[in-house]
Amino acid sequence: MNPFGNPADLAHLHLLLNHVPTVGTVLCVGMFLLATVRRNDDLTKVSLEVLFVIAIASLPAYMSGVAAHDVIKDQPGVSETAIATHQSAALLALACMELTGVVAWFAVWQFRRGAGRPPKTLTAVFVLTMLTLAVMAWAANLGGYIRHPEISSVPIDATPASGPRWIDVAALGEWVLAHLWLWPTGETLHFLGMSLSFGILLVINLHVLGFMGNVPFEAVHRLLPWGMAGLMLNVASGMMFFTAVPQQYLENPTFHWKVFLLVLAGLNYLYLTVFDRPWDVPRKGVLLMTDKIVAASSLCLWVGILYLGRMLPYLRGKF
Amino acid sequence: MAFLAALDHSAFSTWLRGSDSIWAFPTVLTLHTLGMMVLTGASAALDLRLLGVARQIPLLALRGLFPLMWGGFWLNLMTGSMLFVSDATTKGTMPMFFAKLLFVAIGVATTVLIRREVYGRNADPIHVSSTARFLAIASIAAWTLAITAGRLLAYVAA
Repeated sequence: MNPFGNPADLAHLHLLLNHVPTVGTVLCVGMFLLATVRRNDDLTKVSLEVLFVIAIASLPAYMSGVAAHDVIKDQPGVSETAIATHQSAALLALACMELTGVVAWFAVWQFRRGAGRPPKTLTAVFVLTMLTLAVMAWAANLGGYIRHPEISSVPIDATPASGPRWIDVAALGEWVLAHLWLWPTGETLHFLGMSLSFGILLVINLHVLGFMGNVPFEAVHRLLPWGMAGLMLNVASGMMFFTAVPQQYLENPTFHWKVFLLVLAGLNYLYLTVFDRPWDVPRKGVLLMTDKIVAASSLCLWVGILYLGRMLPYLRGKF
Repeated sequence: MAFLAALDHSAFSTWLRGSDSIWAFPTVLTLHTLGMMVLTGASAALDLRLLGVARQIPLLALRGLFPLMWGGFWLNLMTGSMLFVSDATTKGTMPMFFAKLLFVAIGVATTVLIRREVYGRNADPIHVSSTARFLAIASIAAWTLAITAGRLLAYVAA
């Protein structure tokens, strides 16, 4: 069962998702500045949370874009140069967005820890957001030329300077494949990151499920950044694999499901930081069925991600 | 060598290696990864606590992680043996394979020692001893090396 059986579906998904990081980042900058002027911590937190959600949505936005490339590249009037430059700028924008999202999440975590506004982290978030906004706008602008070459003042094919010369996705992919030690190193980091992220979530969710006695949620919440560090390691090493052989992943429905579960796993990190429910469990001394379901789902989610990841080469076409 | 070859040629090994079913080799391999994730993940969380992360968690609250770690260990001993017999002549002569076994043995030893040091009869339920901290570092190092060696097994030549 695969909702993205046809590559054109992924191209549609790209058109839907590509506006999330561009428009969303602008919105976040506005909210963030307004919150600073008004000294409103709640609004600051909302802007940070939205930044993290955008960072999660940017992963499928980027990956579906690579699929869209294959769908439209042979169509008349579409310039391969325009796509390649857009894709290279988009990869850089994605890297900036992911970094911004993680730092924004860390700021939310610090807020939750109860020490008030974390000024240094907030400054870092602002600087990173402005940088991301600039790179994202550039990538989006280059993306616009793919279907609307008429808005370019010079013919697209004749303007390699309009795109990034120092970053080229295709060359980067070849570079990864040419350095034989990179793949095993990436795989090792991918496994280490998974174990770390799972171990931390195991303790936190076992706590919600009531296996740890009367410990305040605040105590286990302190572990969460280590789980996030594991997740970051996995997104970074995973994107290295994807950059090297994108088609191998995009053509495999197992991978589509894996990315879907990964998005949920990212949202789970936000849930554990933002929502009051897990915090209320030990305080009120009652365990509701919904709490149990969310905690059990979180653990199942990681088993699912492991299953789909490990079975990527074997499950191909068996869905 | 004759023994390793005999393992390689056993009916079970031939089935595990050769079957097209996703329930053969792929499933055993996935279960091996699952056991690894549970064992080393739970171990990493406990080690971090011993090293001072999230000090607010009482040590006793983490005691329940040990049955999970042992579950992961036995699952991997079982699936690992299955994976070994399916490729015994190659694996049985690879230095990387023995390096992995050594790191796993050290990892298991640190887990047993941490259990004794932190949850033993005379253990302090509040303070983490310097021995426990040393064991936590050794445990992280051993499992990291075990995972690294295991992953490299798929890439290095025999």
